[in-house]
Amino acid sequence: MSTELTVPSRPRTWPRTVLVALVVVAFTVVTVTPALGGIRIDLGAIERNWHFGAHRVGQMFHPDFSILPRTWKPLLETFEMAVVGTAVSAALALPLSMWAARPTNPHPVTRGVLRAVLNVNRAVPDLVYATILVAMIGVGALPGIVTLVLFDLGVVVKLVSEAVDSADASYMEAGQAAGGTQSQINRLTAAPQTWPAYASQVLYSLELNVRISAVLGLVGAGGIGRLIDEVRGFYRYGALAVIIGEILIVVILIEIVSNVLRKRLR
Amino acid sequence: MTYDPSTTNGPEAALPASGPWPVRLTDVTVRYPNGSYGLRGVSVSVEPGEMVAVVGLSGSGKSTLVRTINGLVPVTSGEVEVGPYAVRQLRGRRLRQLRGSVGMIFQGFNLADRASVYDNVLVGRFSHMPTWRTMLGLATRDDRDAVMESLSSVGMLDKVWSRAGALSGGQKQRVAIARALSQQPRVMLADEPVASLDPPTAHAVMSDLRRINTERGLTVLVNLHLMDLARQYTTRMIGLRGGELVYDGPAASADDAVFEEIYGRPILPRDTLESS
Repeated sequence: MSTELTVPSRPRTWPRTVLVALVVVAFTVVTVTPALGGIRIDLGAIERNWHFGAHRVGQMFHPDFSILPRTWKPLLETFEMAVVGTAVSAALALPLSMWAARPTNPHPVTRGVLRAVLNVNRAVPDLVYATILVAMIGVGALPGIVTLVLFDLGVVVKLVSEAVDSADASYMEAGQAAGGTQSQINRLTAAPQTWPAYASQVLYSLELNVRISAVLGLVGAGGIGRLIDEVRGFYRYGALAVIIGEILIVVILIEIVSNVLRKRLR
Repeated sequence: MTYDPSTTNGPEAALPASGPWPVRLTDVTVRYPNGSYGLRGVSVSVEPGEMVAVVGLSGSGKSTLVRTINGLVPVTSGEVEVGPYAVRQLRGRRLRQLRGSVGMIFQGFNLADRASVYDNVLVGRFSHMPTWRTMLGLATRDDRDAVMESLSSVGMLDKVWSRAGALSGGQKQRVAIARALSQQPRVMLADEPVASLDPPTAHAVMSDLRRINTERGLTVLVNLHLMDLARQYTTRMIGLRGGELVYDGPAASADDAVFEEIYGRPILPRDTLESS
């Protein structure tokens, strides 16, 4: 090195990093200190109660495959609920995402109303939807599917509309300059531009739906969850392990398929 | 796929001869919400079929001026008349009708990159199509013919089913010109159409614009910041500085002194395409 480079002095960032770390630690300590309004965490309870659960976990390592024939139908139902729920929510989510995003819906009032409704929708837990819908519609797969649609819409419309908000939308100006209505512009140009984000979120919602619909049966909303509730009630933890294993396989298969599809989107 | 213009609905049917419109700005001022001025008391009268360069540095009000003509930028005071329309009074449907008669191309092309070239050019047919037809994807024969004829006239018909994002910059700008042509416009606006292109491509696109002016007889307003392009391709030049009109005269006789007046500084090598 013959020439001496005059490198500008590197800005000091560590005091800031330390400060942020201290704030995070202090906040965490407060949340677990009951005297300061935090939650009470009794680590001794783990030692006192450990053996109750350990016994059940131990049972789960002796899978009871006699349950298998009874699982096929509810497992298929769970899978079907997930697919139908995803399909219905996907069909509704694309127009609603356009409605909820600023570039595709410049009208602040209608956009605000939809966003408020979606916030309420996301605030309600899925099991609450399922419980209410079972009471309104009756026991079976239908209340489960409606629950999944409501849950998916909250997630997909939020994430896709945020993707539209942050994407470059210079083509909008061209559509306006050509005298297009907002619907025309959205249909012909915004929709294809939004497609990768939308398809990716729909695939993700399919993955989530299999997990959620496995639980919905607990409140009578169809699927494998009803069987889970039954074997748990009879303390058949070996059978429970088999059912959990089956759900795991379905979830992994769907993840593999959606990963393959997602790669093709680019 | 080849497009045969001699089929039943040829280009004559798809693109009927449409007379160019005059553009008249009277004492136009544009004040942006942040308090800055885009234009101050600008009056310009462009005859039907003229090809006019609007010249100035960035921030001089060029973009604002052409955007008042199709109502993309609302004027604060003054009048903008385009053919039979008084732009300031237009809202909703009537505003879209005016915009349908005014084609526009942009520096950044403004294509939807993930959509096909066909769909991008079909954007130019919006004002000719009812919304339900667009929503259902049911373009009429006339719409399709207008798209194909426009692409053919800029030499891009072989790319009609390509994705717009897969094209080069020059190709994208040609598709954007086709999009504007498929509107069958009376006036063509161009906002720095060659600023993102390399010199040979820039000349090709400027030639396309001049051909549109001479062959279709369209009124053309083109924003430029390079003096040699303005001299070479247009007949009349309007100079803007700080939102005010500082020159209006023949492009050919605009010498370096005129450009120094417009730029408000001595001429630099980067003010021409050849040396930039």
